[in-house]
Amino acid sequence: MADDLRTPAAPVTIGEPYQRELLIEGDPSLGAVTRRVCGVVERPKPPRAWYVAFAISSSLTLLLMGMVVYLISTGVGVWGNNSPAFWGWDIVNFVFWVGIAHAGTLISAILFLLRQTWRTSINRAAEAMTLFAVCCAGLYPTIHVGRVWVAYWLFPIPNQMQMWPNFRSPLLWDVFAVSTYATVSALFWYMGLVPDLATLRDRATSKLRRGLYGFFALGWRGSAKHWQRFERAYLILAALATPLVLSVHSVVSFDFAVSQVPGWHTTIFPPYFVAGAIFSGFAMVVTIMVPARELFGLKQLVTLRHLENMNKVILATGCMVGFAYSTEFFIAWYGQNSFEGFAFLNRARGPYAWAYWTMVFCNVVAPQFFWSKRIRTSPWLMVGVAILVNVGMWLERFVIVVTSLTRDYLPSSWGYFKPTAVDVCTFAGTFGLFFTLFLLFCRFLPMVAIAEVKTVLPASKAHGEHGEEAAHG
Amino acid sequence: MSSLGRHDSAAPERGSPSDFSRRRFLQVMGASMALASASGCTWDTEEILPFQRRPEGRIPGSTQRFATAIECSGVASALLVSSYDGRPIKIEGNPLRVQEGGACSARSQAAVLDLYDPDLSRGLVQVHEGVPYPRSWKEFDPWFAAELARRRAGGGAGLAILAEPSSSLTQAALRARFMEQFPRTRWVEWEPLARTQELEGARLAFGRGVRTLPRLETARTLACFDADILGEHPDALQLSRAFARRRDPDGGEVLRTWVFESTPSLTGAAADQRLALRCEQILPLVLALELRVLEALAGGGSNSAALLGSGFLKDPEVAATLEALAQELVAQRGRSLLIAGPRQPAAVHALLQRINSRLGNVGSTLLHVQAAVDEARDPAAELAQLVREIEAGAIDALLILGGNPVYDAPADVDLRRALRKLALSAHLGHYRDETSRACTWHLPRAHALESWGDARAWDGTVCTIQPLIDPLYERRSVIELLAGMCAITVSARELVRAAVAGSADEAQWRRILHDGMVPGSAFVAVECTLLDFEVEAPRARQLALEVANAQLELVFAADAKLHDGRSANNAWLQELPDAITKLCWGNAAIFAESTARQLGVEEGMLVRLALGGRELEVAATILPGQAPGSVTLALGYGRSGAGLVGGLAEQDVDPVGYDAYRLRASGALHFAGGLTVTPTDRSVELARTQDAPLIDAIGTQGRDERVGELLRVITLEQLRHTPDGEAHAAAHAAHGSLFAAAPQGEVRWGMSIDLNACIGCNACVIACQAENNVPVVGREQVIRNREMHWIRLDRYFVGEGAAARVRFQPMTCQHCESAPCEQVCPVAATVHSAEGLNEMVYNRCVGTRYCANNCPFKVRRFNFFNYHKQLEQKGRDVQRMLYNPEVTVRSRGVMEKCTFCVQRIQNAKIDAKNAGRKLADGDVTPACAQTCPTHAIVFGDLADEHSRVSRRRADRRAYTMLEELHIRQRTTYMARVDNPHPAAGAHGG
Repeated sequence: MADDLRTPAAPVTIGEPYQRELLIEGDPSLGAVTRRVCGVVERPKPPRAWYVAFAISSSLTLLLMGMVVYLISTGVGVWGNNSPAFWGWDIVNFVFWVGIAHAGTLISAILFLLRQTWRTSINRAAEAMTLFAVCCAGLYPTIHVGRVWVAYWLFPIPNQMQMWPNFRSPLLWDVFAVSTYATVSALFWYMGLVPDLATLRDRATSKLRRGLYGFFALGWRGSAKHWQRFERAYLILAALATPLVLSVHSVVSFDFAVSQVPGWHTTIFPPYFVAGAIFSGFAMVVTIMVPARELFGLKQLVTLRHLENMNKVILATGCMVGFAYSTEFFIAWYGQNSFEGFAFLNRARGPYAWAYWTMVFCNVVAPQFFWSKRIRTSPWLMVGVAILVNVGMWLERFVIVVTSLTRDYLPSSWGYFKPTAVDVCTFAGTFGLFFTLFLLFCRFLPMVAIAEVKTVLPASKAHGEHGEEAAHG
Repeated sequence: MSSLGRHDSAAPERGSPSDFSRRRFLQVMGASMALASASGCTWDTEEILPFQRRPEGRIPGSTQRFATAIECSGVASALLVSSYDGRPIKIEGNPLRVQEGGACSARSQAAVLDLYDPDLSRGLVQVHEGVPYPRSWKEFDPWFAAELARRRAGGGAGLAILAEPSSSLTQAALRARFMEQFPRTRWVEWEPLARTQELEGARLAFGRGVRTLPRLETARTLACFDADILGEHPDALQLSRAFARRRDPDGGEVLRTWVFESTPSLTGAAADQRLALRCEQILPLVLALELRVLEALAGGGSNSAALLGSGFLKDPEVAATLEALAQELVAQRGRSLLIAGPRQPAAVHALLQRINSRLGNVGSTLLHVQAAVDEARDPAAELAQLVREIEAGAIDALLILGGNPVYDAPADVDLRRALRKLALSAHLGHYRDETSRACTWHLPRAHALESWGDARAWDGTVCTIQPLIDPLYERRSVIELLAGMCAITVSARELVRAAVAGSADEAQWRRILHDGMVPGSAFVAVECTLLDFEVEAPRARQLALEVANAQLELVFAADAKLHDGRSANNAWLQELPDAITKLCWGNAAIFAESTARQLGVEEGMLVRLALGGRELEVAATILPGQAPGSVTLALGYGRSGAGLVGGLAEQDVDPVGYDAYRLRASGALHFAGGLTVTPTDRSVELARTQDAPLIDAIGTQGRDERVGELLRVITLEQLRHTPDGEAHAAAHAAHGSLFAAAPQGEVRWGMSIDLNACIGCNACVIACQAENNVPVVGREQVIRNREMHWIRLDRYFVGEGAAARVRFQPMTCQHCESAPCEQVCPVAATVHSAEGLNEMVYNRCVGTRYCANNCPFKVRRFNFFNYHKQLEQKGRDVQRMLYNPEVTVRSRGVMEKCTFCVQRIQNAKIDAKNAGRKLADGDVTPACAQTCPTHAIVFGDLADEHSRVSRRRADRRAYTMLEELHIRQRTTYMARVDNPHPAAGAHGG
């Protein structure tokens, strides 16, 4: 893969204004793209680094399982949650993971509808990330309740008590929003995979692989009819998924905005949460794609131009988030509600000021480095910034949840939240789960959407928009 | 006697456990089994019968109530105990005691938990050669009878009895009878918190040791000198009720209270004027006050100039307060009252008696009664004398009746060492405590709820004590033990009847038992003539404005919860937050902010206190309102033999708190100067339910900005000038609501809490805990802010440093009509009833905790763990008997909160329906309101415009907290009204 790196980057990826830039470097043939992507999956053994990473992440997953068993068998008290911070890291991490889950669908659906063809190289991995992040996110609200064994009461299941959930509760809206989002994301991801699974089936050398990939390829033969229906369905799903990108985090933000806790009860939350989610989601994609393209030799397909585009999105959403922070303070002052005013002063100057100012640095200051083209286009620097953004976005949720709860209306019930070791281990465990799933995905499924990437190759232009070779290169 | 240890076949052979043969093991196990089952065989008396015929008036499943009493430090509290299927579950005050009206202190209410304490002694123990053996009364009785018989010839010489003081007539009669038979037996009484200095002061002033009964009903001006009449006073319930009535702005002339004290007390919190002074400064203050009062009475010149111009008395604030008080006392002569606390020396009491007499207050605002045998007493000296006699060998057998003298004796009296010299020492105690462990015999003492007896209330009324349940294990009361020693075979019941009711017939006796007291048995006021007496001039240290380290003052305070330490194994009381410090599960040395800064002491820091050559390492806490230079440490903590709750060295259960008795020497039982404080570099986390961690600058600012809004206080002057209460209501003119009001039911339950009446006594917290099966969570969980109390007392400080004043606000579910908790629960586990109750459906709750987040008052409590899990442990089944069967015991994972005692509402409805009438105002009383000594909490139907709660809601002082949230609470508050002196120092108001 090292030879790919030697391709001079600047002249190709950063094109002259009058010349259309190339999205894929080195002008590979259609067949080469297939070979490159499938090669990752078909190698007899993954790189050693994969094993190391998998060992670590699967151990963390085991840790997560242990923590969950301990939690359920003992009680929520094993976490640091208390009164008044009835929610702590559980909800912080839930919102954090839901936020991460935003980039995938945004890239897949919205950029697809906007005909942003640069998305093709990264959408598959980003969608996978979305799914895995939703798994981690969905875990928290399930296990954080006091009685996990009756958590299903949150679903409107007809029952002999004729007891329905309370449709006025934002938590219930959350259940619908997140489950819908998870379903649509999974469908969307799987739909896109079908032609590539067929490719893998056709290239398979063992019976088992042929059987398994064949089963999931749903009998895809690549006929024009298939393609026509595929494209139609993909478009419909993209159209369905698009509002979800906006709605999920809006609904998540309602958990806070609809309540009357000072610091939560703010109308700015929906747009602010969505911007933040895209911000953190893109940062996560950058954080993961840079090492992944390095590791699996996909630099030609996931080029600096892709990364740069994502960094531009990070810069833009980072500015939105920063603007939201200042608006919150302005409104807290302008609104002259003493409780709200105090909630925000307390964020900046209270016991959690360290978290607030670290958050401001990570989310507002750090992305400003992306104004510099050099930083925006150097992979390891951008990973640094992206990690800072991830930390910052986690802290943002921490600041919102914990500072508001620990000092609300009555000073007599003010408190302080301290996480326990179980909190930390559970959170580490969700990272383990996330990376375990991602590593398995890298090993067994095509990380890049082969069929879609081919459409942006110069070679495909000669044959019209969607040549049949694209599927069977 | 020494032959006794060996004849028991169950005694294991000495040697390591591995020496046991299988055969021997089975023998021992068999014997233990037999013993274990024997402990269940106490019901060999005739009373217990199967209910083949239902006893008259007994309905299975309904509660029965019995009047009884409980004695603490020789003073009875009259009780009414609810019993369910034969097991007492709830203690309330006896409503027939009109002065108290059914109120009950937190400590008395918590006694029901002691009854079911698994650590409560279940059998006799004899220690032989360092090894404890279980014994039974069948073994003890013949042996002890023989022992007494052996001593009868010598008139009981060599035998001593160390008893707790008691006002029981039965016990006094038995004592007289015993002393008749054994005239040479030494009878010594010890009680660590005896109020002897009051009596000594009276003796100094009048030549006789009379008790002073304050009569607040007629008082206009009340001055308390280190006297916590609303908290620590034995008659606090009655005084609190009278105090609240005199503070009512609509109840005639309003009392003005002046308090001079070192540590904020309940009385200090309720005061209109308060000055923080060291305990030792009270004497010069009172001296100066007397001079000023006498001058003002005589209208003459100024003899007091010399004293007033010296030391702290010339501090402008002190001088102004003193002058204002003197003027007011004279203006209100005959209607003023000056009281000193039990910590103050006899001289202070004598001086105040003199001032009261000169002002003509005697007979008007205070009465003198002869409460006990009039003899000069110094209990610490008597105890020291006893120890000396034991050491000298003059006494070779000691019987200790109750108390825990090994733990609470003065530090310079080494009773423990003396006990080691004795071949025979027996302790009758509720627990196998420190004293029992130092004795050769431990005898289990019956709980007040399982024994017969009697005791006198503070005003002298004789209260009867009757058992609610047969002794659960082989326990005996002091009366039973003494009767046995006098070879009396009559039952305790008959003895009590003879002593209390004398020749009364059966009907009268039943009446007495029913009422729980003997009519007309209160003390009669006596006339006292003032004598001439001189009081030593104050020393330089007492006059000093400031004192440096090594000259600091250490004050030993009676703990509001554990008293002298006797309640250390009561988990309710241990977890009850102290009214002022909000500390639970432990005590700490209380420092003023300025003193702490000067010494380098910080919150939670471990400091070494050195006093009179004794040292103790304790945690420090900083308290606004504390007098600079004074350090206060509560007694009753640091027990090593209390039990699994309060600390048990034998089972490696750490003591809770620090044992202040180790610094308390007989010369200075109450406070002592010359304290040296050395900070260490270690600290501990203190468990407290408020202000944890200490609030930072921004938090303090935010708190101070809103406290006045949440907890409204106005002065009497302001109230008079704004009859409609605009002063406090103007801040929040009614905001219009966009939403239509919820439909109202026929009945609209509501509550009103009068902040002017609430004194922060904590009785409601324990009442709620007992009524609603509220669990105890333990120290670690309290540190994590997970306490479960359904009602709490929010405590705020207003002002800074020593001048800070304390304010209380009872806080429980407000039952909002538009409840924020209900809207956000995803499973509809918290819903509204037609009568306006915000109801919690435990078995529907999933535990998302969203409701608690959205509650502005944070009154919802979450079961983070299964807090009743310990019931599954072995030997704890007796604890299950405590629970109120009408209230669900919540398991982990569900939210809970105040229900307005919905079970009581239902019971009242059923009763009304059975009686064929409508619910009347006052039929429903939640546990908190029932026990409130000041009627601060009133509950009722808002739909009935004549109900007390409706009238209160219409009062000009009424306000709703956080009205702008439009949640329309059913609980409203009434503003506190202070009556500060217009000219006195800034400490007022």
